[in-house]
Amino acid sequence: MPMAARTSSRRRRVVTEHLQAYAFLLPAALILFVFHFLPAFGAIYISLFRWDIVQGPFRGLDNYATVLAGARAQEFWLSLGTTFTYVLFTVPFEMAIALAIAYLLFGRLRGRGVYRAVYFLPYITATVAAAVVFTWLFNPTYGLFNSIVEAVGIGPQKWLDEPTGLFQLIGSSFGVSVPVWAAGPSLALIGVCLFTIWHFVGFQIVIFLAGLTNISNEYYEAARLDGANERQIFTKITLPLLSPTTFFVATIATIGALKAFNQVYVMTNGGPLDSTRVVGYEIFKTFFQQGRIDLGSAMAFILTGIILVFTLVQFRLAGRRVHYA
Amino acid sequence: MAAPAAAPRSRARVARRVRIAPIGKHLFLIVLAVLVAFPFYWMVTTAFKSFFEATQFPPTLVPQQWHFENFPAAWAAAPWGRYFANTLLIAAVVTVGELVTAVLAAYAFARMRFRGKGVIFVLFLATLMIPGEATLIPNFVLMSRRYLNLYDTYWAQILPFLATAFSIFLLRQFFLSVPNELQDAARMDGAGHLRFLWSVVLPISVPALVTVALITFLGAYNSFLWPLIVTSSADVRPVQIGMSQFRTENGSQYHLLMAAATLVIAPVVLLYLVAQRYLIQGVARSGIRG
Amino acid sequence: MRLKAAILMAVVLVATACGGQGGPTATQQATEADIDLTGPVAITLWHTQTGGNVKALQDMVDKFNASNGKQITVTLSYQGTYTQLYQKTLSAIQAGALPEVAVGYESFVADYQKADVVLNLDTYVNSKKNGLDKNSLDDIYKTYLDTVRFPQFSNQLLSFPFTKSLLIQYVNDDLLKEAGKSTPKTWDEFEAAARAVAKKGADGKPVRYGWAAPTSASTFNGWVLSRGGKLMADDNKTVAWNGKEGVDSLKLLDRLIRDQVAYVPKGFDYQTDFGTAKVAFVQESSTGRPFFVSSFKQPINWEISGLPQTDPGKAKTVQYGANIIIFKSTPEKQLAAWNFVKWFNEKDQTAEWAVKSSYMPVRKSAADTDALKTSWQKDVQGKQAFDLSGTAVPEPNVRGQQDIRTVIEDAITAVVNQKMTPEDAMKQAGDKANAILRDNQP
Repeated sequence: MPMAARTSSRRRRVVTEHLQAYAFLLPAALILFVFHFLPAFGAIYISLFRWDIVQGPFRGLDNYATVLAGARAQEFWLSLGTTFTYVLFTVPFEMAIALAIAYLLFGRLRGRGVYRAVYFLPYITATVAAAVVFTWLFNPTYGLFNSIVEAVGIGPQKWLDEPTGLFQLIGSSFGVSVPVWAAGPSLALIGVCLFTIWHFVGFQIVIFLAGLTNISNEYYEAARLDGANERQIFTKITLPLLSPTTFFVATIATIGALKAFNQVYVMTNGGPLDSTRVVGYEIFKTFFQQGRIDLGSAMAFILTGIILVFTLVQFRLAGRRVHYA
Repeated sequence: MAAPAAAPRSRARVARRVRIAPIGKHLFLIVLAVLVAFPFYWMVTTAFKSFFEATQFPPTLVPQQWHFENFPAAWAAAPWGRYFANTLLIAAVVTVGELVTAVLAAYAFARMRFRGKGVIFVLFLATLMIPGEATLIPNFVLMSRRYLNLYDTYWAQILPFLATAFSIFLLRQFFLSVPNELQDAARMDGAGHLRFLWSVVLPISVPALVTVALITFLGAYNSFLWPLIVTSSADVRPVQIGMSQFRTENGSQYHLLMAAATLVIAPVVLLYLVAQRYLIQGVARSGIRG
Repeated sequence: MRLKAAILMAVVLVATACGGQGGPTATQQATEADIDLTGPVAITLWHTQTGGNVKALQDMVDKFNASNGKQITVTLSYQGTYTQLYQKTLSAIQAGALPEVAVGYESFVADYQKADVVLNLDTYVNSKKNGLDKNSLDDIYKTYLDTVRFPQFSNQLLSFPFTKSLLIQYVNDDLLKEAGKSTPKTWDEFEAAARAVAKKGADGKPVRYGWAAPTSASTFNGWVLSRGGKLMADDNKTVAWNGKEGVDSLKLLDRLIRDQVAYVPKGFDYQTDFGTAKVAFVQESSTGRPFFVSSFKQPINWEISGLPQTDPGKAKTVQYGANIIIFKSTPEKQLAAWNFVKWFNEKDQTAEWAVKSSYMPVRKSAADTDALKTSWQKDVQGKQAFDLSGTAVPEPNVRGQQDIRTVIEDAITAVVNQKMTPEDAMKQAGDKANAILRDNQP
């Protein structure tokens, strides 16, 4: 009898906890449902029809086939390749730089507040304004980068107007001809990557700083008592205990980079010669230059699927490596 | 990754004898700070240059003559006062609202047990993965008279942003690293989830909360495309639309453009400086806890 | 404020909903363009003007609101760039929430009309009561009306001129004089003059160019036309710019870039470069005049001339710019919108808009207005550009043209970066463009 009473009271507790948890989730769930899921269902619906400005006949999965294997396949796969290059050349660099700076700014340091404010500036700067500054820095005639490059003795570059691959450029300056497959990302794409890294480093620093703040001093003190040196403290205490934050930053940065559109739009408009045309830009162009909201929606959901797979893999990989207290 | 490891090591080696290491640290930080802040510096100084100086090559690092009149010229181009007021109202409501929904949801994901947690979390995250272009048209239709009838209102610019998976995910990560012992102790004292959240989790998460608030506010402050699409009158429009309207259609009036950009960014810089005090306060508090 | 907006919105939407069913009032009259306006009518105009033009436009709208005598109120609403305006309009079509009037390019109209939302203005132009008589119609340069007549949509008149300009040539006369050349009339003369002007420094690097050639599909179209070529086949099903004229244009560009006589400027840098006498020729929109002038460090003797031609007797160039689109709504709102559009394009208004915005006046008679005469005393080049109005030809207004522009610009970029020969670039671009046209048959 007492056994039954205990299980029933436990069950009641479990039910209460469930109800309470759902209540906690409700406000957020409601907003996300109405303003994200409903529109997404709308977009999925659109993607199943011919919808060229106005709704046409039902096409099933034909739009998806067109993007993946039909008339749009070549462009789409090419832009997907560019997207992966872009992710590879931005996310790891952003994170490494941000973590390094955040770690330095976290310790006792004179002028810490000033540094923190300065490092946050890029993220505050609105993309439109920042892009104006950067396109100007990259300007082949009036830009600062070419003054620097020329002062160092390298010839002026076309930067964002340069469709030629980076390795090919380096090769040809040494008189070596580099095969097409090894030409590398265009100088223009590198320019967009630099802009992205600059823009997001400040954002990541702020999050890393919050993560570092969250690590209790006890751990550091205990480690110091055990005679650990700074390096050991960093690798054995800081990195593991920061891992929830690092995991968050990695996930968010990867999702953001896979979806990237704005950076390309304001810097290069996908050019020169499509060398910076990432999937996000391809989707935008299909929607709002060609008026093909059916194909655009299909592309968007294919990209969503790819991002979802990426994220789930990240979660699986992180599962064992992320340490929560 | 070489940088963070190298600097502490050198400090460990010499810290007890001479304090040379901080100089190295400072040098590293200053060089990077110059690189990072340069576009910002460039923007502000260009805002004070004349047209000719702004397009001069090689460029000048400091304005030869300070043209303060660029600012009144930029200010006169749009109803900035109204735009600023609208933006502050929208951003403030969004920030407070999002903080509330995110704290509750993140707490549930981090510290409560319930069925479907994994699936619901992934569904929440999925909202971050759908490209905005795809949902723009359906969202507009949703706001139109046929459904919510919110076109050209503040609410159209506020409601969709009252919850984001971004903030929920970030706070979840922080709440997850609150030690389990604290929760056990609270349970022993008979505290329920709400009390534990209010009196233990929130106080020790101040830096994380300030971070989320800051990022949310900035997002709302900088939003442009959605407000442009979903409003049509200056009465409810935000400051970034003013910025866009200032853009000169066909010319390189960089100096005026930079003056407008500086005006728009100034309030956010001030806000960050205020928020930073709380970030540091958060550090102090978590120090006490330790 | 919100209440007011909400009421306005509701009025607009109710009206739109009624209009969609083609109200019975329309059929009782001869046409819906012949009705009388009785009560007050409010209409909204979505535009993209920025900077000083906003004020000029607002002043004119205020004047119209105060003086139209029919209780018509026009409200301006800024909608970002043309691309953003298109984005919003596309959304508004799905939601059934279009404004009464919006600005837009021909390619926009061709897209919107898939949803059959654009008002055919032939009915209004031809209305005895509210239309334009023959004299008035002939006074408008033919090119501006040709461009808004859509062969793919049974030749209807869909939209009316708004912000027009021409592709013309900015010429630095000081540099030409120094080189002992006069303003070139043909492309051969142009090449010789450009080569004569270009100068290299002691280190072999160019210090002055003959020609700044910004990458633009419209400019390319102008080159093709000036060489006697055509842009589209007569049936509008294939492009025609990929023939000899296109190849010759790219060959000239390729040649002069290789010899460092020409270069591709970034953004609007050509204005500054021209203003600082770093280049003698720029082929660009006539609207850029004030920006060129504001970049002059010292006074320069300069002029606006037509493009070099193969046959200067049959000179041709392209015209640019946006038009004003009236969407289908109620007969009252449509007529109110038409009244505004008609008023805006009358002699005095088109002259006023030209003076304030530096766009082209669309009427020949505008030249007689005091406003323009006074303005041209200072803006001599404005008159030079206006005198070329008769040589302007519309660009294609078929569906897919927006995409085709990118194809053309990619071909130019490939040539100037020496990734492709002019012949190959033209062939590839022509094939791509024809495929786009096939995909977009309405």
